Amino acid sequence: MESLLDQSSLFLQQLVNGITLGGVYALIAVGYTMVYGVIQLINFAHGEIYMLGAFLAYTLVAVVGMPFFPAFILTLMICAVLGVVLDFVAYRPLRKAPRLAALITAIGMSIFLQNMAMLIWGSQIKSYPRDILPAFFSESALTFGDVTLSWLQLFILFITLLFMIILHLTIHKTRIGMAMRAISQDKTASALMGIGVNRVISFTFAIGSAMGGMAGILVGLYYNAIFPTMGYVAGIKAFAAAVLGGIGSVPGAMLGGGVLGIAEVMGAGYISSEYRDGISYAVMIAVILFKPSGLIGKQVGEKV
Amino acid sequence: MSLSPKNPHVLFLAILFLAIILPWIPLGPSTNYLLRVLTTAVLYMMLALGLNIVPGFTGLLDLGYVGFYGIGAYTSGLLAIHYDLSLWVILPLAAANGALWGVLLGAPTLRLTGDYFAIVTFGFSELVVLLIRNELWLTRGPMGLPGIPPPSIFGYPLTQGWQYFYLALFLLLVVLVVVVRLENSRIGRAWFAIREDEIAAQCCGISLIRYKVMAFAASAAIGAMAGAFYAKWFRFIHPDMFKFWESILILCLIVFGGMGSIAGTMLGALILIPLTEVLRTALPQSMFNARYLIYGLLLVIMMRLRPEGLIPFQLSRSRKAEQAKARLLGSEE
Repeated sequence: MESLLDQSSLFLQQLVNGITLGGVYALIAVGYTMVYGVIQLINFAHGEIYMLGAFLAYTLVAVVGMPFFPAFILTLMICAVLGVVLDFVAYRPLRKAPRLAALITAIGMSIFLQNMAMLIWGSQIKSYPRDILPAFFSESALTFGDVTLSWLQLFILFITLLFMIILHLTIHKTRIGMAMRAISQDKTASALMGIGVNRVISFTFAIGSAMGGMAGILVGLYYNAIFPTMGYVAGIKAFAAAVLGGIGSVPGAMLGGGVLGIAEVMGAGYISSEYRDGISYAVMIAVILFKPSGLIGKQVGEKV
Repeated sequence: MSLSPKNPHVLFLAILFLAIILPWIPLGPSTNYLLRVLTTAVLYMMLALGLNIVPGFTGLLDLGYVGFYGIGAYTSGLLAIHYDLSLWVILPLAAANGALWGVLLGAPTLRLTGDYFAIVTFGFSELVVLLIRNELWLTRGPMGLPGIPPPSIFGYPLTQGWQYFYLALFLLLVVLVVVVRLENSRIGRAWFAIREDEIAAQCCGISLIRYKVMAFAASAAIGAMAGAFYAKWFRFIHPDMFKFWESILILCLIVFGGMGSIAGTMLGALILIPLTEVLRTALPQSMFNARYLIYGLLLVIMMRLRPEGLIPFQLSRSRKAEQAKARLLGSEE
């Protein structure tokens, strides 16, 4: 009986950890999903924005000496600008080029940014200063038996949920959101209706990149480790989450992130920790093969 | 502007002749180094020719090519260690194993749109590396696979650098013949048609999935064979040698040289691989580790300024494809 209780509390603890991780994946996935929804491009460099977010916050706090919350906000702003610049420099000139060209450019930018970070910050693992957050963040906020939820986890979940709701409302209730949905249906017709297509695309990149950068900071705090290659695996997993939920849909990204986070933590705990990343890839391949429209996405036919 | 001369055959034979006499030009102690660099370049020419079939000929981005390279290398290494098979048995077996996995991966995934296909191939190559790393009973995982016996030809084991160089050159010629024959065949024309316009190709009666799987399998077989050669040449393989980065490097070679163009892909490898070796000696270690910065930038710049590469895919081929299309349409009337 005793061990059974241990088992179930271990399971619940894993569930809590998985949901937290899933929240982070969802934040990154939003960037993929929004950009894909608007210009049908897998922005491979998005994972790098996430990594840069973690490093920028690190630099602002540990090197410049800013307090955490202003540094957090400033990092989000820099990431938003980075996203817009990325689009402007790399993707905009190729809007009318074949899709293969844009994909190759995206891969190229991703590799470029990752190695740039390696040159600037070195390839060693860095961690945020211990006193970056008020001390209570590492204490447990809620305790049910043996299952604990730390303030940091609660903070991550709260921020994720908050921004998901804001984004969802932005897309469905505001003028710019309406413009985004219009562009995702037909770029030319939207331009003819007087929508500034490039302005809206820039806005999409800005929002997505800010979310990605925020996820980077949160993961940096959660695992207490930042390194230049962190964006590459997380980016792919977040993309998997976006596909799983249904690409182009914000609640889908949320759901996909949650499912993937839980699957990964459970898989690592109960199946094999060596195949932790492999589980995400396998889930992603399976979803793309069997249900490419995702859990709550809608089937979109290929336009001729 | 085209870099290719009036008569490509003469140029090709001249380069081949130069390559054959090269080991015998007295260059003092640097000969061995030069041969190693050139053998690497020839290896990557093979790899680039193989990859080129998928993005170059068929227009699909394949980010998992290195998975097949790894499969080939481990097939070759394990067969050589456990069964002591001859090189001439190992090479076709490795190629067949690569093609098998190409079909297994391609048949279900090639129905997808290009972006999803790219990401699935990426996932595949990561899974291959994870398997190699973790299945210790088979691959020894992160300890690598040392002690692969050297290949022997007619009973004589290869020991000298020039012998491997000739072997690589021979294999490259085989690959080149296969690729050129494919390019000029009905299959090649079907691939180009798919690349230019899938829907139009389908309307001309080309079975998209069938020809895409063929392209993918052919590409995988060549990649695996190159891997088999690599294992026998280097005689030590390690999971880290087959990471995603290698796929990017090979993609970079064909984008730089000219996607879809056979001469271009080879030229890309011939320029970039020795350049990498120069960087290895010229730069400090930490800077060298960031060499992919240049490759990434190169991909972006090429796509922006010269997407057709140094030697563009030649129009004469497209004309042939058009004639074929015209014939096809004519026969249906």
